[in-house]
Amino acid sequence: MSLSSFLPLLANTCHPVTLNDWGHLLQVIWEFLSLSLFSLGGGNTLLTEYHHISVDQFCWLTPTQFADLYAIAEAAPGPSSMIVGLIGLGAGWPEGPFWGLLSGVMAEVSILLPSSLLMVAACLRWNHMAGSPWRIAFERGLGPITLGILFSVGLKIVHTSDQTAPALLISIVACGLMLFTRISPLWFMVVAGVFGGLGLVSR
Amino acid sequence: MAVPAPAPVIGGENAAPTPGLGDLFVGMLQVALSAFGGGLSAWSQRIIVDQRRWLDDEAFLTGLTVARLFPGPNQINLAIYVGTRFHGLKGAVVCLAGMLLVPFTLLMGLGCLYFSFHTVPAIDRVLSGVVAAAAGLALSMGFKILPAYRHDRMALLLALATVVAMEVFHVRLVPVVLVGGPLAMAWYWPRSSDATPEG
Repeated sequence: MSLSSFLPLLANTCHPVTLNDWGHLLQVIWEFLSLSLFSLGGGNTLLTEYHHISVDQFCWLTPTQFADLYAIAEAAPGPSSMIVGLIGLGAGWPEGPFWGLLSGVMAEVSILLPSSLLMVAACLRWNHMAGSPWRIAFERGLGPITLGILFSVGLKIVHTSDQTAPALLISIVACGLMLFTRISPLWFMVVAGVFGGLGLVSR
Repeated sequence: MAVPAPAPVIGGENAAPTPGLGDLFVGMLQVALSAFGGGLSAWSQRIIVDQRRWLDDEAFLTGLTVARLFPGPNQINLAIYVGTRFHGLKGAVVCLAGMLLVPFTLLMGLGCLYFSFHTVPAIDRVLSGVVAAAAGLALSMGFKILPAYRHDRMALLLALATVVAMEVFHVRLVPVVLVGGPLAMAWYWPRSSDATPEG
């Protein structure tokens, strides 16, 4: 399963790995467990990595499906980082709804478990580290890296989602509305969905 | 000090009694469901600080700082902060469950509908519009925090180097964090003139 990490050239052409059900599930669990502690500044910085794993490396999803799941996770109530559950669902879906749901739940538990345990430890020890130079350097230094990663994430999602000029135009308008107004993003998704339904946005 | 504080303070007369595990679960569920379509952070503050008075403003801001500093989604980490503060690990588990159980069940339901019906042409057409709008949200994330760094040239340079590494050279996230992180931390290590307490 780690073949493509040794041969990066293979990563661009997606070869599905044939595994039995349990092997597939363990692969999902391992990929998300190992990413958990690398999510800086909120869960969104991991989106390029989710895309790489699920679309390029393991072919759990097509690029279109990835873009759709991102939109569904953004529109649904609750933290949008729950997209991991949807990716897990997609990974297990070919083996049936049961394996899909099991894989979705396990993916979400795997991505949350390491970071959550660290967070509990951090809360209990916070008074000892609040003024430490390590903490100050970490907070100031990782901010700019997070900024760069978020721009890469934005470019990656736009590249995956928008295949036509009207789609790109909608993304740019939605981005502008997010930055300069306080309108709930749910509204632009509804309006854009109506445009899509009328056939104005093809892909 | 004899002067009563204007805002409710934990342990002060206006503070609510320590919430039980059931209260924590219901409160977090309320936060998760209020934030339909974003703005989770504002809703957490409204419910946790203003309505239920579990935390004062200062404790809430400390929680937000810790939540952003450590890995993991900010809202999830904030729920863990609230839970741990009152009931340790048990409280954290209950708050996480309150925040996630109902929305996650709903999302898995939507996911099953999606994988069953996404090839239906009408649904695909509607989704193509929704996806374009959602991509706009992703694009706005970087721009949203950019103003905080506008006077810091080194920060902008580090951010640019990160984008170039990821977009042009296709460097993956883990090496970016492992190489860029320590370099940036060394640059921003507090100088003695910053008058920060030693750790």
